Formats: sequence, C-alpha cells, structure tokens
Amino acid sequence: MGVDTILTDGIVPAQVRRRPESLLQVDQLSIDIATRDANVRLVDNVSFGIGRGERVALVGESGSGKSVTAQALMRLNSRVKLSGRVQFDGTDLLSLSPRQMTAMRGQRMGMVFQDPMSSLDPLMTIGDQVAETLRIRGVSKREARQRALDVLDELKVERAAERLDSFPHEFSGGMRQRVVLAMALVGEPHLLIADEPTTALDVRVQERVLDLLDEISRRRSLAVLLITHDLGIVAGFADRVMVMYSGRIVEENEATLLFAEPQHPYTRGLLEAVPRADITVDRLRSISGAPPAPAARPSGCTFHPRCDHAMAVCTSVEPGETITPLGARVRCHLYGEG
Amino acid sequence: MLQIDHISKSFPAGRGQHTMVLDDIVLNVDEGQSVGLVGESGSGKSTIIRCALGLTRPDSGRVSYSGIDVHRSSRFDTLRFRRDVQLVFQDPYASLNPRMTVEELVSEGLLVHKLETTAAGRRARVVEMLAMVGLGEEALTRYPRSFSGGQRQRIAIARAVVIRPKLLICDEPVSALDVSVQAQVINLLQDMQKQLGLGILFVAHDLAVVRHLCTTVAVLERGRIVEHGTREQVFDTPQHAYTQALLKAVPIPDPAVGRARRAERQLAP
Amino acid sequence: MTLVLPTAAPRRKANFTAYELTVFGVVVALFLLALIGPMIAPADIYTSNMLETLLPPSAEHWLGTDDQGRDIFWRLVAGSRLSLFATVLVVILYSIIGMIVATLATVGPRWVDELLMRITDIGLSLPGLVVSLGIATVLGPSLQSGIIALALTGWPMTARILRTTMRQTMEQPFVEGARILGVSRTRLMLKHVLPNSLDVLIVKWAGDISFTMLILAGLSFIGVGAQPPSPEWGAMISGARGYMSIAWWAVAAPGAAIVINAVAFALLADILQVRRDPSLQA
Repeated sequence: MGVDTILTDGIVPAQVRRRPESLLQVDQLSIDIATRDANVRLVDNVSFGIGRGERVALVGESGSGKSVTAQALMRLNSRVKLSGRVQFDGTDLLSLSPRQMTAMRGQRMGMVFQDPMSSLDPLMTIGDQVAETLRIRGVSKREARQRALDVLDELKVERAAERLDSFPHEFSGGMRQRVVLAMALVGEPHLLIADEPTTALDVRVQERVLDLLDEISRRRSLAVLLITHDLGIVAGFADRVMVMYSGRIVEENEATLLFAEPQHPYTRGLLEAVPRADITVDRLRSISGAPPAPAARPSGCTFHPRCDHAMAVCTSVEPGETITPLGARVRCHLYGEG
Repeated sequence: MLQIDHISKSFPAGRGQHTMVLDDIVLNVDEGQSVGLVGESGSGKSTIIRCALGLTRPDSGRVSYSGIDVHRSSRFDTLRFRRDVQLVFQDPYASLNPRMTVEELVSEGLLVHKLETTAAGRRARVVEMLAMVGLGEEALTRYPRSFSGGQRQRIAIARAVVIRPKLLICDEPVSALDVSVQAQVINLLQDMQKQLGLGILFVAHDLAVVRHLCTTVAVLERGRIVEHGTREQVFDTPQHAYTQALLKAVPIPDPAVGRARRAERQLAP
Repeated sequence: MTLVLPTAAPRRKANFTAYELTVFGVVVALFLLALIGPMIAPADIYTSNMLETLLPPSAEHWLGTDDQGRDIFWRLVAGSRLSLFATVLVVILYSIIGMIVATLATVGPRWVDELLMRITDIGLSLPGLVVSLGIATVLGPSLQSGIIALALTGWPMTARILRTTMRQTMEQPFVEGARILGVSRTRLMLKHVLPNSLDVLIVKWAGDISFTMLILAGLSFIGVGAQPPSPEWGAMISGARGYMSIAWWAVAAPGAAIVINAVAFALLADILQVRRDPSLQA
C-alpha cells in the first residue's frame, strides 16, 4: 500500500487534482473570547475543507489559534464565541443544540489531545472507558465490550483482552495514547481531530502512533485533522497542510508542494529554521521576533514585523487570499493582485 | 576539561529494589568542544547533568573538572567550579527568579564571584552581555514576566555566560520554545561557542538539534551510553541498533522521505 | 500545544468589585483613624467629669459616657491606635520570629530542621491563650506584656506554613540555578527563596490581625493586658463590666469597635485569598 502511495503522489496541477468528496466545510470561522477588558479575536475568518478519508494538517505555533480551532469544530470550549459556518456531513454544527452536538461528538467526530492522562479517568478500567461512548448510545454491555476489544486490537494493543480490566496508570505513555485513540475511534467516526497527539511522546513511540493512525485512516477511510507545531511529523503523514499564524491560515497546499515550494515567507522561514537530523547545515536561518499574542496583533499582515520581504503595504493592509500557480492558497502581498 | 569517569547511580525503587539509572557512564568535554548527549525520557539525562554539576553524588566513579574532583573539593575549588561551569535550563519560565530585574539577574554572577566590584562596572558588563544576546538596555529594569519565552532564554543565557564560564551545560534549552524562535536560540549558542571558545555539553532528546550544534555525540539508552563518536560517525554510519532506530524515527520535514520510510516499515513484517 | 488565552497576559490589571473596594476602604479608614485618632480626640477623655457619669447615648455624647463621665466615642477613637497598632505589632513580631525559624529550618542541616519543627509542633499544640496569659502574668499586667506574650506564642503557625512553602520554593529551577551560579546560602535565602515564599503569608496576615485583635482585647479584659484607665478597647470593656447592668453602652460600644475591626480584616483576608487563588471565585 505504501509503495502505491509514493507512485501516485507526484506533483499534479491543482486544476486536475482529484478532490475527495467534502466531509467538513468551514466557512469564515471566527472565534472570539471576551476577557475582562476587551473582546479578543483568537481566530479570524478561517475557511477550509476536509474531504472524506483525507489527512489534513493544521500547523501553527502557540497563540496561532490552531487548538482553539480544533475545539471550536467540536464545540468544546463554551467560553468562546463562534461565528461563521461549519458544515459537517451536511449538518451545520454551529446551529446544533448541545445535546445534538454531544451525539455528534460520540459518533461521527472523535478527538484526541496531547496529554492522554487528562482524557482518562484514573478510576475506570480501560475497557469501560473505551466502551463508554457505545454504552451511552445504548449498545449492550457485551457488544460494547467486544467492540472496545476490537478497536484495541486494531490499535495493536498487545494482550488487549487481558488488559481491558486494567487501569490507566498501568499503561505507558504510548499505550495510554492508544487507549485514548481507541476511545475516539470506537464509535466509528468519519473525522478524527488529533491535537498534538504525539508531542509528549518519545520519537520512536511517536512514529508508532502515527503509523497506526495512518493505517487506520486508510483502512476506514477516516478523515484526520492533525494539529501540531511540528512540520516534521506532518511531512510523512498529511495529504494537505495548512499553516496558521496569529489566528489566520496563511498558506495551504498539498503536502508535497508545500514542503517543496513554500510560498508564504512564514512557511519558508519555518522550514529553514528547523534543524534536520539528515543533513548538516552551517547555520540556521532564523525568523526574528516571536509570534504575537492574540490581544496584541500587529496591523495589516500580522507577520510583517518578522518578515524579510515586508513592504509598505504590509503594515497597513491585511492581505487577501490568492491562489498561486502552484495551487497554494496564500495570504501574502507578494502574491496576487497587490 | 570535564571528565565523567565511569559513574553509576541507582535509586531505591521500593521493596529493597534498586533501579539502575546510570551505568558506567564515561563522557569528556574538552575546552571549546561541543558534545551532544541524546536520550529519550527516562534515559538518565538529567541525572548525568546533576552529577556533572556536583548536585547529585554518583554511587561510584568520579566527575572531575580540570583535575578537581567535583564531589570532594574544597570550598575554594567549588567556587571556581561554580564560576567555570554553568547551566541553561529547559524551561525559561521557571529558571529565572520572578522577583529580580534583568539587571539583578544578569549581574548576580558578577557580584557573587566578585568579578566587578562597582555597580557601574557591573552594569556596563550586563549591558554588553545583553547586547550580545540581542537585548537592549531598556531590558535592565524589567522583570522576566514581561518577556517572551525566547527572550527569557536569552536572559538565562546572558546570566550564565556573563561570568565567562568555560563550560555551558544545556538541558533541552529550546524544547520549550516556539518553533520559529528555536533557531534564534540555537544560533545564539553557536555564536557564543565560537566567540568565547565555550565548551558545550548539549543534552537533548532532539537529534536534529544535536546534529546541528555538536561535533561529538553520545547516545544514551536507559542509563548506558550505547554509541559515542563524531557527529558524522553517529549520524551517517550509526553502529548501534538503538541509534539506528532513533534516527529512523526522527521526523524529517520532507514528504518523500516520510512516505518512503513509512512504506518501508509497512512492507517489513 | 497549550492554548494561551489572552487573560493570562503578562500583567493582569486589577479590576476590583464594589464589595472589594468597600472592604479596602473600611480597612484604610480604620488605619487612618488609628493614626489620627489620639490627635483629634478632645483632651477631657483622660480626666474624670463626675457631673456626667454613665450618660446614655445622646447628641452630645454619641455613645454615652462611662463611670468617670468620659465620652465613650472619643475614647474609642483615641484608643483605636492602641488596639490596632498593638495588634499589628504583635503580628509583625511573631512573623519575624516565624521567618527566622522557617529560614533556619530550611537552610540548616536535617537535625536543626527536625528540632525546630518539633518545637513548632509543641507551640502549635499548646493552648495559645492560656500560655500568653501565663507569660503576661509573669511579666506583670500591662499592654507591653500582652504584646510580648502574644508575639511569643503566635509564631509557630507562621513558621510551619512558611517552612513548607520555602521547601517548595527550594525545588524551583531558579533556586537550583542560583546554587549553580555559586550564590552563598545567606543570599540564596534572602534573595531567592524568602521573597518567593512570602506570598502565602499576605493572606494570613490579614486574618491574623483580625484574630490577634480579639485575643489582645481578651487579655486586657481578663486583666493581664492593658489596664484601665487606658482607652485600649479590651481594657475599656473590662473597666465597664462592673456597671454593665445599668450602662450597657459602656460595654457594647468597645465590643462593637473590636467586632468591626475584626470583621473588616477577616473580610480582607478572604478577598486576598480569592485573589491569590481565582479557583475559589464564586
């Protein structure tokens, strides 16, 4: 299966690229939070889509809004105000009642977080926790347990049958993350949102978890939205990459193209700033400054104070979206009409 | 300069059992040399750092600095050791006293080691040092909380380097920073090493950063150094299976490499 | 990565509620009153006026007069400095003792820590009021004796809390960093550990003032603290209890003054506690 992928994943012009049937469509999503002093926009007019079975990565640094976006899709954070449209499989998620949303989360969308321990109840057995989503939906105890076992097997948890009755603290970090994945996958969702799922793990364990995710996503035709700060793990996993900076998606493209021909100065900077284990370079090119806090964003293009290519227009006018000849969706004054 | 000579350390693990944390570690850092120590969590990295700094006493073996046994030295030698060997911590939020201004933080070493006896002399040295790490004079009166993570790490480096140590031990100094800021700190450490002839012991889980900064590399697996050699030896022709496995697992920001590796793994039994 | 919300911005602006502002205002007013009280009170509150003994509250004497014909309102005002400042002094004194004990226990070798903490435990297990009573009696009844007695019995709790916090602060990377830098033990304590451990006491101080004020008044009432004719509030109650049945106001007024002070500081302590730990917010 792997070889097959390599052969077909060449560079294909954007116009003829086959897009999978749409599963999630996010339109002009903005996320605001009211603080004591002011209203702060965490995410600003973000639009993107995910097709069935497609693996999309959302890459960003702290404060970029990537995690808030993920939470917004699941409507997990009640402190923020959402505006825009989020269509999932024909349903407008933002108009659902809390109860309908809960059903949606259990059955059709799953989510995993960075810290597996925070998603696990220390006093409940692994089996019960994985089966819980099904039990809530009224699946019989026996069947729920069987399906929990199947998912754990699918995730290659060894001796899963014996370990159904053990507790989270008896598992290693990587195993816990698999259990959390099992909880998200047992309801057979169409979309899995994974927020920094491997950040707390050692590289070898990280690789195993990503391999599993890759395999399951292909087998089940499961769409995955991978949220991370690490471009390295994205490269081997995602079909498409979106780069988020300071509340906006500044670049989006097929993974192969994004890594080969990054268009936005931020994407380019990020790729050059990360040291690589496979080549020795004399000196890293660094991006000056630090990402801004959401409450203190620069005017115009929020990246302009750190940008090598900043022009007069960048300080005052927020760049619109342009599609470059390479098919990248970019927000930068270097491209497009201006 | 710094010699870690066959040290071992175990900790009690309850029921009379002991866990071997370090097993016969040998590691040297010479003047001006940059040595990388790579290990996953639980490999014993932090225990090595603590032993090297004289904060934890190994069960056997010895740590010596320029011939002085770090764990059995006189008060005078200890003070010299404290001046010559400094540490940069992983977390720039917890490693700076929140109630001290940048000037107090950076000048403390000068004061403690009586390197500058006047306040004006200390201030001049602090300003010079801040300029070196890319911070302006206006930083002097501010407190750590008003700086970003990357800036704090610069302050921490300034604080450690202002007394002109001969060896800087770095404990995961960039892993807590934003990706776009990491390169700044890595470059700064590189510059410091070149300009001041600083020896560096760089301890990290991130192989890529170690490859970039260090000319000699040791790989730590569960308390044992399994591979030790030049950067080229360790990264390009790794001998030990553990090193090979680690290197294969490091994410590479290149989709072709990533896919090829995954294919290889999936085709293998 | 973790979500950094703008509310966690570097320096939070203090937005106080009306309730909090009221409590702060009352506390400040009480301090001001204590400061200027003796200056604005008329001189005749220290002298007898046998023509006006035990008058009930009226327009002329807002809180009535006592058995010596002295105006109770103005005596309260004049006495507030004694009561409040003596209380504050007690808290300062035993906080200093507590800090010294905690610091020695933190830096010292294990046996010093053990010894000091056992002494602290003994101090905590003894009934403070009874011991202070004993000490004050031995020293001879006076306000000074009361202050010394309470200072000597009040420190154990401060010492214990502070030692625990200082031990935690000792574990902080920046303290380790200072040690690696070669900072001396004295400097380590005074510059790095103590300043970063005192936060916990601020809340305690406000509560302590409230509590100590009651105890100090209690000592005076029993007769081992300030002595009549001092306008210290406890002493005033003590002096008036003999004719309580015919002049209730002479006991009630200083009692109310003590309660108002104690409650104000208790509320302040509560506010500070909530501010320090926002999870306690309703």
